[in-house]
Amino acid sequence: MSASFIFGGLIALMLTGMPISIALGLTVLAFLFTMTSVPLDTVALKLFTGIEKFEIMAIPFFILAGNFLTHGGVARRMINFATDMVGHWYGGLGLAGVIACALFAAVSGSSPATVVAIGSVILPAMVRQGFPKEFGAGIITTSGALGILIPPSIVMVMYSVATSGMLAIGPDGKEVSSASVGQLFMAGVVPGLMLATLLGLTTWYRARKFDYPRLPKASWDQRLMSFRKAVWGLLLIVIVIGGIYTGAFTPTEAAAMSAVYAFVIAVFVYRDMSLKDVPKVLLASANMSAMLLYIITNAILFSFLMTHENIPQALGEWMVSTGLSWWMFLIMVNIILLAAGNFMEPSSIVLIMAPILFPVAVRLGIDPVHFGIMIVVNMEVGMCHPPVGLNLYVASGITKMGITDLTVAVMPWLMTMLGFLLLVTYVPEISLALPRLLGMM
Amino acid sequence: DDPIVIKFSHVVAPGTPKGRGADKFKELAEKYTNGKVTVEVYPNSQLYKDKEELEALQLGAVQMLAPSLAKFGPLGVKDFEVFDLPYIFPNYGALHRVTKGPIGKELFEKLADKGITGLAYWDNGFKIMSANSPLHMPDDFLGLKMRIQSSKVLEAEMNDLGAVPQVMAFSEVYQALQTGVVDGTENPPSNMYTQKMNEVQKHATISNHGYLGYAVIVNKKFWDGLPDDIRGELTKAMDEATDYANGIAKEENDKALEAMKAAGTTEFHEMTDDERAAWVTALKPVRDQMSDRIGADLIKKVEYAAGSS
Amino acid sequence: MLRMLDRLEEILIATLIALATVIIFVSVAHRYSLGFVAGLIGFGRSHDMMWLADGAKATYLSLRQINLVWAQELCIIFFVWMAKFGAAYGVRTGIHVGIDVLINRLDNRWRNSFILFGLACGAFFTGIIGALGARFVWDIAHTTSTSVDLEVPMWIVYLAIPLGSFLMCFRFLQVAVHYARTGELPHHDHGHVDGVDDDAAASAIAASPLTPKER
Ligand code: NA
Ligand code: NA
Repeated sequence: MSASFIFGGLIALMLTGMPISIALGLTVLAFLFTMTSVPLDTVALKLFTGIEKFEIMAIPFFILAGNFLTHGGVARRMINFATDMVGHWYGGLGLAGVIACALFAAVSGSSPATVVAIGSVILPAMVRQGFPKEFGAGIITTSGALGILIPPSIVMVMYSVATSGMLAIGPDGKEVSSASVGQLFMAGVVPGLMLATLLGLTTWYRARKFDYPRLPKASWDQRLMSFRKAVWGLLLIVIVIGGIYTGAFTPTEAAAMSAVYAFVIAVFVYRDMSLKDVPKVLLASANMSAMLLYIITNAILFSFLMTHENIPQALGEWMVSTGLSWWMFLIMVNIILLAAGNFMEPSSIVLIMAPILFPVAVRLGIDPVHFGIMIVVNMEVGMCHPPVGLNLYVASGITKMGITDLTVAVMPWLMTMLGFLLLVTYVPEISLALPRLLGMM
Repeated sequence: DDPIVIKFSHVVAPGTPKGRGADKFKELAEKYTNGKVTVEVYPNSQLYKDKEELEALQLGAVQMLAPSLAKFGPLGVKDFEVFDLPYIFPNYGALHRVTKGPIGKELFEKLADKGITGLAYWDNGFKIMSANSPLHMPDDFLGLKMRIQSSKVLEAEMNDLGAVPQVMAFSEVYQALQTGVVDGTENPPSNMYTQKMNEVQKHATISNHGYLGYAVIVNKKFWDGLPDDIRGELTKAMDEATDYANGIAKEENDKALEAMKAAGTTEFHEMTDDERAAWVTALKPVRDQMSDRIGADLIKKVEYAAGSS
Repeated sequence: MLRMLDRLEEILIATLIALATVIIFVSVAHRYSLGFVAGLIGFGRSHDMMWLADGAKATYLSLRQINLVWAQELCIIFFVWMAKFGAAYGVRTGIHVGIDVLINRLDNRWRNSFILFGLACGAFFTGIIGALGARFVWDIAHTTSTSVDLEVPMWIVYLAIPLGSFLMCFRFLQVAVHYARTGELPHHDHGHVDGVDDDAAASAIAASPLTPKER
């Protein structure tokens, strides 16, 4: 009863096009005011304490770092390095695009940032070299999505935050704790590299089939030089992943360190950005972070309401009582998330859906870390198909292609991603092997 | 009539001594009042997190909580920080002379003008010190990054031992210990065991240097507004739940210590008399450093009652 | 007057994100220098170089005089303030995302009404939160609650809620009035940073056939 009121209200408000954060907040306010005895002042309290957590602070730090990298010439040097390494293979620049996206993904926490940073440089170059624009659009749209799978990842931070402290009971009746940011980051490495390889293979295969242009092979001297130029950006991978793994920093500290490092690289080493540009980068990062933090606060308010009304637990009981098996549940989750990906951005989807689905998943014996990686891969797919998908927007703008053309262009890589999604869904070891090997779980 | 609903929120798992104490209180309260009172227990910070539960109680969003004693300092009642002082309680007997005696009562009275009534003190236990290197003498702490809860007393304690205190959320500790962001921490054995910290700590010293405990509190307006007979029954239920909770807390700590010794991943060190004396000497200054905050009189009184001056 | 408010808002949030970054950087650097110096003490002792051990110990003790235990708390407070005021700035720049797929298919009159309705709801929600927050801050101001590490009075910390929400409410009304008059909404290009370069990405998104066009 209360569940249908809450969800009905939320969906109705969201479809009017108002900001998702406002729709979440209004639903909670209306419900608490009319149907419960919870003092409304609690809402004001929750809007502050909801984000009063050090783990959440990784998000603004990673956004800041990403903006310094995007505008500081790091992407360009990574592309040059990747091109010198693989440009002479089938697919040349396209393959370089996949690799550059994977490299940039390893220093940046968001997918749009990755598409923007790599796509805006490499797509025009590909068209100039005589690749069909569909080919380039397909590669960058999908490879850019690696940004949230290869650590660091803002979406992983959100999943961890959205599910942390939830009372989740495993099939054996024991309490299961949620996944930490560090575990998720390490779990994303293998699937990330695997997807990059698969997207690269798709690119190589199609380029060979249609005999697309290849670049002359770069000499080892040239490769060494482009590596030396790119090395300052590549070092950031060591800082983030190495720093978290060796215990130099917590994930949030690693994010702050990478923001400082990216600033130094952009302004003092590469000098593609001057000191007077810094306030603009700060403001743009603050703007984006504040928007995400505002959704997070309202989503936390919303999950407070759901916990208060016992909805996730009731849903879990119901699903278990219908005899739903874990693999049917996972397929259902895939379908729900892919459908949501038609209308919403990943951060909102994760914040709203993860707290509902998480207790059920745990109840059916699914590992919290594996479930998180599966959600992230779903989000990646969602960013690559219309009508809502930032990756698509960027690619279509650079190539001036319409929805239909672009959907066709993206198809081969999107199919690869869907196949990969199934693989990640049903083979938990892909996600769990590395964190287990590292003794993190 | 509709039953009176008491929402009892706490931040730990249902299986811990505090969680089981809360469930025991629910059982007894509902039995003694013949169902006129319903107690809803919300474990694991489900509704309100560690940082917001006291405000939620003051707003009347929940009626009953069991926060750790250190939480009252930020509320403006720093007197409770006396419980955090190292080596101020030599044993459980000394501790209970304070909590069950006039000092415990006086402390609770200071909560009244915050809109809070204190009902009972629940033990978690005495803390042991753990790290990845042996901690026999205070000098062994030099340069170690030690995780603490936010607290001025614990900060002073780690500083006086020569360590670098690091504030960190409880949920982050396991991973931080494992990767080495921090080197060690302090915990009662039951917390150390349930959080699996023995897996990531090579050494521990059974120092019993400090106490961790909780206060069961209610919203004062709610409590004073209850009919006298019901309040009486609830008080009786709370007294019995307190004996129950404190009984299992001690038992759990002993069991946890045995289990961790059996697991073999951590080497447990029993202190020699000399070592203990060295720790006490190193940590005694904390009382002076904190006497302005906590009140020199109160510290004296507790020392006298506990026999630890 | 309004221009000054705009500038103030921008300076506040940009400064907060910068300061928070610096604070965490310094506290990590501090922790590492302590660890390094402690390592030197150990090295000095085990290699019988007491001059090194003693010198390092003196450095260690003086480094430890710098107390940065409060860094995390301050960082969190800064970010919460940044989030509250940044959310208001975000209304002005049109960054708050909604599901506009459906209403973009409606004819102009209906679309206009839905957009105005959404803006009104935004103003309504943030107005209520502002009022609730003000009452909450008022109550807390009459207590002795302080934050744990810095021991700042909590009402000052919580002041971000009413101030930020009221500012956000004002921004929603401002955007609504502007839209009713001119039919223009602020539009945010994701991934675009104003004026840093002639942003290929921003123009790409703007030129994208997928980007909903103002009608
Ligand atoms: Na990434
Ligand atoms: Na989509």
